[in-house]
Amino acid sequence: MRLPLATLGVLALLALLYLLPIIAPGELYALHILTLALCYAVPAIGLNLLFGYTGLVSLGHMGFAGVGAYTAALLMKHGLAGFVPSLVAGALVAGAVGLLVGLPCLRLRSHFFIVVTLAIGVILNTLFNNLDWLTGGAEGLPGIPRPQPLDLGLMVIDFRRPQGFFWLALTVFAAIFLLQHLIVRSDFGRSLAAIRQDETVAAARGVDVFAHKLAIFTISAAMAGVGGALKVTFLRAAAPLSFELMESINLVMIVILGGAGYLLGPLIGAILFIALPEALRVANELRLVVFGAILVLLALYAPRGLCGLAAALIHRLTTIGSLHARHP
Amino acid sequence: MLTALIEQVINGTMIGAIYVLVALGMVLIFGVMQVLNLAHGVLFMLGGYLCHFAFFKLTGSYPASIALAMLVLAVLAMALERAVFRPLRDSMQMQIVASLGLILVLQNSVVAIWGPNALQMRIPTAEAIVRLGPLSFTQQHVIIIGAVAATVTLLYLFLTRSRLGTAMRATSQNADAARVVGIDTNRIFLLTFAIAGALAALGGALLGPLFLIFPQMGDLPLLKALTAIVLGGMGSVPGAVIGGLAIGIVESVSTLFIPTDFRDTVVFGLLILTLLIRPWGLFGVRVRGEA
Amino acid sequence: MPAILEIAGVRKAFAGIVALDDVALTIAQPGIYGLIGPNGAGKTTLFDVICGRQLADSGTIRLAGERIEALRVHRRARLGISRTFQECRVLLEETCLDNVLFATQDKRLGAELVQTATRSTRARDAILAEARRLLALVNLDAYANAPAAALSYGQRRLLEIVSVLATRPRILLLDEPASGVNPTLLVTLRDFLRRLYDERQIVFLVVEHNMEFIMSLASHIVVMHQGRVLAQGAPAEVQASPQVIEAYLG
Repeated sequence: MRLPLATLGVLALLALLYLLPIIAPGELYALHILTLALCYAVPAIGLNLLFGYTGLVSLGHMGFAGVGAYTAALLMKHGLAGFVPSLVAGALVAGAVGLLVGLPCLRLRSHFFIVVTLAIGVILNTLFNNLDWLTGGAEGLPGIPRPQPLDLGLMVIDFRRPQGFFWLALTVFAAIFLLQHLIVRSDFGRSLAAIRQDETVAAARGVDVFAHKLAIFTISAAMAGVGGALKVTFLRAAAPLSFELMESINLVMIVILGGAGYLLGPLIGAILFIALPEALRVANELRLVVFGAILVLLALYAPRGLCGLAAALIHRLTTIGSLHARHP
Repeated sequence: MLTALIEQVINGTMIGAIYVLVALGMVLIFGVMQVLNLAHGVLFMLGGYLCHFAFFKLTGSYPASIALAMLVLAVLAMALERAVFRPLRDSMQMQIVASLGLILVLQNSVVAIWGPNALQMRIPTAEAIVRLGPLSFTQQHVIIIGAVAATVTLLYLFLTRSRLGTAMRATSQNADAARVVGIDTNRIFLLTFAIAGALAALGGALLGPLFLIFPQMGDLPLLKALTAIVLGGMGSVPGAVIGGLAIGIVESVSTLFIPTDFRDTVVFGLLILTLLIRPWGLFGVRVRGEA
Repeated sequence: MPAILEIAGVRKAFAGIVALDDVALTIAQPGIYGLIGPNGAGKTTLFDVICGRQLADSGTIRLAGERIEALRVHRRARLGISRTFQECRVLLEETCLDNVLFATQDKRLGAELVQTATRSTRARDAILAEARRLLALVNLDAYANAPAAALSYGQRRLLEIVSVLATRPRILLLDEPASGVNPTLLVTLRDFLRRLYDERQIVFLVVEHNMEFIMSLASHIVVMHQGRVLAQGAPAEVQASPQVIEAYLG
């Protein structure tokens, strides 16, 4: 997506989203769904950078979201810090845990690394469930306050109301989205892409593969932490169920569905993942069977997800007599 | 204290034997095809459900139900290999993604058909008591340990004495070389999955009567089996056996010292420790370039 | 002036098999050096040890006087040792231009991350022009914006070589550049390599099995046999040496 057209498109999309509560003020349920989707989209961006751009599979990523979530929850619940500092604290602690995990584990061969991420996710979730004195155990931490209303002069944004919190979530998402964009467009992002395509080439050209993997793993964990903090502020409660293994698998699905390695993939995947079942209103198990089937089909026939399919379609429609045709 | 220890060692051997069955299937698939089949836990779970179904709805015979479950799962596993894993041979990431999808499909289909609640399978062997001094176990304990011992022996004989088994070992060492000498590696891959599926089914069918049969029953055994094969060495069959038993015993014995809630954490801590100190496991092959 | 490359007492064994047995080699001047020898002579292992893919069991390797035998691949690459691979590795999803640009960028993590925030164009235009010029040298300028996957095998080889050249190495290790190339294109490949050498005048160290190709390209030949350097000198000299003939026939 090198065309400035794409940038304009994204900005237009963001503008539309911001205007949504004003255009359709009565659609509170849709707003609720979109806010929840944004809470998933943020950690999905982290996973997208890790998996889609660098090629590292992490099956326990919601564990890091949980670390950020509980950190922020504890700070806000006990009145120790406001929303933004808590969010930042959540990101830092989650990032630190990511760094600690990555240091010994990123040197392992890929199969082993995947197994470790699985184990880390399970261990973190066990800790959330059992360190009652800190995390409230299986019941979690209820009663997380929403941020204080923001006085913009022209209007006051009340974050306890759906519209207000939607704008907050959208802003957090936009910030993380911008960060994703900067990373992908930078030389750092180019090195990550090289690592994904061929680690041997990357190293032979001077890339310190381990350091790069560690850096992106830490950033990715921190982003997940932000997402976790946002989610528990939205739900007003932190509970282990939000960060269990199944949620980590859902996150993988969101990234794959939207399109791994595409900037908008996480948002599209999250919206579809959250919104579609609500629209379909089928029983929970059937919904999951369908999702599982979609995942298998995506792996087999559309590994680049919806964005990938769209990109291929656009390419086919706009390119006439391309180099591809001459050199298949 | 000593009696409690012996009791847990025997319990641990029993549950370890179950882990061995799951681990064997996974290590065979990984050794022969370098595929990490995360869907193995749901195959184990399906074994339990199919055995239950066969026992209560078809035959009244436990052995026949086990056999039926093993057969069905062998066929299912082959179908998965052909339809899902073979086309994805070149992309490990997509194989993982597909495995996750399979877990969702199979686990939730079971919930849709049988409901979310656990099933019970009360059979005589699970009720009958066997006494060993002051300790008592069910007959099922004995049957499990015996059945797994027999299975491991049969598998060993198959791999070392039969033509197909030797072909499997050859393929696991070097698939290209195996093809050159005329081995149909596609058939070997199907066979590997079939055996793995049957072993998983056996595990589920044996464990079902002892505890409960529920949709998530394969989740933890999957992770324990993964730990076992990492501990034993990713391509090593004897490693899987020793790893599985070791995990079972460590896990059971640890409940004497720490709260049961943290039992699984102990096992995964062991996994991570192994990966950090000795990633090629006890019997694995150290790959050039690994620390 | 220290020699560009100085290898002394290098040994490497794999599970009991000795691949390199007390290798000594000094390259003092720029030039195209051919590294030949029968199968199992240790040529690829020597390559791997020089660039860092394998670490020598013992011995020293000096790059312009600096000891590098303990450094990892990426560190050596930054110090100026670049290599191509026998199986030809390029970034298939990137365009030809991006392949070359990636090779030129400063790979230090700090520099890359700072660049994320500053995003200035700096000397971008000059780098871009240089990249295009390198592509033009091997007739790939028309494919600048095509993905590397769209190129033929021979073209990918050339892309790999100019990408590596773009890193401004002091030593360029070429691993069997002629392998897999259509015989009718070998003369073209040889001429390209000569042209590229004239561009940079650095050390080209080329492993090759194709005798005709390497003898007509290289100015010096190094012959390896059973893990040691058997002979070195001008092509004609080496070809006439009875030791070398025996090594190949014996």
